[in-house]
Amino acid sequence: MLKLIKLEWKKNNIGKYIRNVVILAAILCLFMFALAYLGIANDPDTGVPDAAPGNGTISSPIELFTCMSFLVFTSVMLSSFIVSAYKDKTMALMFSYPVKRQKILISQMLSVWIFCFIALVLTKLLLYGCILLGSQFMVSSFPIDYNMASLGFYVQLIVKSISIVTMSFIALFIGLAMQSSKATIISSFLLVILTQASIGNFTMANNAVFPVILTIISLIFAFLSVVGVEKKDLI
Amino acid sequence: MPYILQTSNLTKTIGRKDLVKNVNLHIKKGEIYGFLGPNGAGKTTVMKMITNLWKPTNGNIEIFGETLTHKSYEVLKRMGNIIEFPTFYNHMTGYENLRLHCEYMGYYNHGSIENALDILHLTEASQKPVKNYSLGMKERLAIARAILCKPELLILDEPTNGLDPAGMKQIRDLLKTLCEEYGITIMVSSHILSEIESIADTIGVINHGMMMKEIGMKEMEEMSLTYTELTVVNAKKAAYVLSEKLGLSNFKIIENNMIRIYDQHVSMQELSKVLALNDVEVMALGKQSETLEDYFLKITAEVKR
Repeated sequence: MLKLIKLEWKKNNIGKYIRNVVILAAILCLFMFALAYLGIANDPDTGVPDAAPGNGTISSPIELFTCMSFLVFTSVMLSSFIVSAYKDKTMALMFSYPVKRQKILISQMLSVWIFCFIALVLTKLLLYGCILLGSQFMVSSFPIDYNMASLGFYVQLIVKSISIVTMSFIALFIGLAMQSSKATIISSFLLVILTQASIGNFTMANNAVFPVILTIISLIFAFLSVVGVEKKDLI
Repeated sequence: MPYILQTSNLTKTIGRKDLVKNVNLHIKKGEIYGFLGPNGAGKTTVMKMITNLWKPTNGNIEIFGETLTHKSYEVLKRMGNIIEFPTFYNHMTGYENLRLHCEYMGYYNHGSIENALDILHLTEASQKPVKNYSLGMKERLAIARAILCKPELLILDEPTNGLDPAGMKQIRDLLKTLCEEYGITIMVSSHILSEIESIADTIGVINHGMMMKEIGMKEMEEMSLTYTELTVVNAKKAAYVLSEKLGLSNFKIIENNMIRIYDQHVSMQELSKVLALNDVEVMALGKQSETLEDYFLKITAEVKR
């Protein structure tokens, strides 16, 4: 399986994605730094941050932006690893190999999952680290509400990352069902809205149960994408 | 003679349309099987089912003595194929694509990639990304990939599409060599008859999803497809002479003054002599052979009626 995953990375030119994710992380880092120390979110009249209620601390924009961008990034990757493979017929080539179709699909999904999970964890660590480093010299506009020395911080970070990356399997399923890369990516945007948006004071973002349910649903969708592939015609 | 590949009543229905119906194929070990049919006849559908990409609605396929199921993965190791348009990872070089193929096939044999590239004259281009290849080069790379892992059975769906006449001849020669020297069984489809005629041992003709005819080339040659064509002034008189004086029965009056004689045991000399002696005026006399093309058209025309 590990070998299949490595081959997937090689085939799909993983170097390109590493470059993209580094650029993404750098932009996010710059943006968060500006938010905290350069006062771009401050209200020009009062000088205090113009944040939505409940989003007053620095960790909420960090979570919001990393989740948003990585949910979309993962979906884009899934769509080019899997949905496009069906469309440009390289999947026909893959399915003519003496490897179980399920195994091929799972290896493709895992190759994206592992890559994005690691990238997301590293990006978050980078952002939190940079903000923390900055706080040694400057005062953040948003209060710093996390403690990088505690174990709980890391557990939460990892669990949240798992949940976000897994969620993109819903987008994959929709993309596969509709045989369209565009559908995959659009679904991921809808997922972002569903998970991160707020209506007035109501938001799903801070609900603890909701991401758990969504992750379970994602796993069911991932299973549905794989099951039955052995007996299906490849069109 | 054991069959390396045979199908019985192979049927594929999508929606309500029968793409192929009750196809019975028999391919002997070590032969080149020409799979012939006009466009849209169902050649690719049959080949997709043989390579397990599509699953039959009905009937079954037996390869290497085993019935193909959705769990048959091991047989794929022993097969090489090109189905429809050849696909590659376009950003990778030709060499890398072949390497990747070896990895997935679980085939590690030093020098086999270089060898395959060399046979198809692709050594020079092997370090270029596939996206820069011409159609003909892609087609050749696909063949290189198909033969890379020394398969026992090659399934080639119109492998000479997009090749120039020289390239086509090269592929034909290559297939012949692969079959004769390495004992590889080859099933090759085409809608161009002349392309297969010279290399195939057996021909299967498919049209409108139905198997029209399966016939060995030798058998076909013997099947009185060579005939003597005779043009005379009075066909009735000539026919009388042929049957009464020469004892021929297998002949046909094509037009008013043209007769085709399928019996092979009367020589041209004897024929002209007897006809002259009986006062039949002969305008032309010659040996003709029905080409595979005529035969093919005859078979495919039968369905339309």
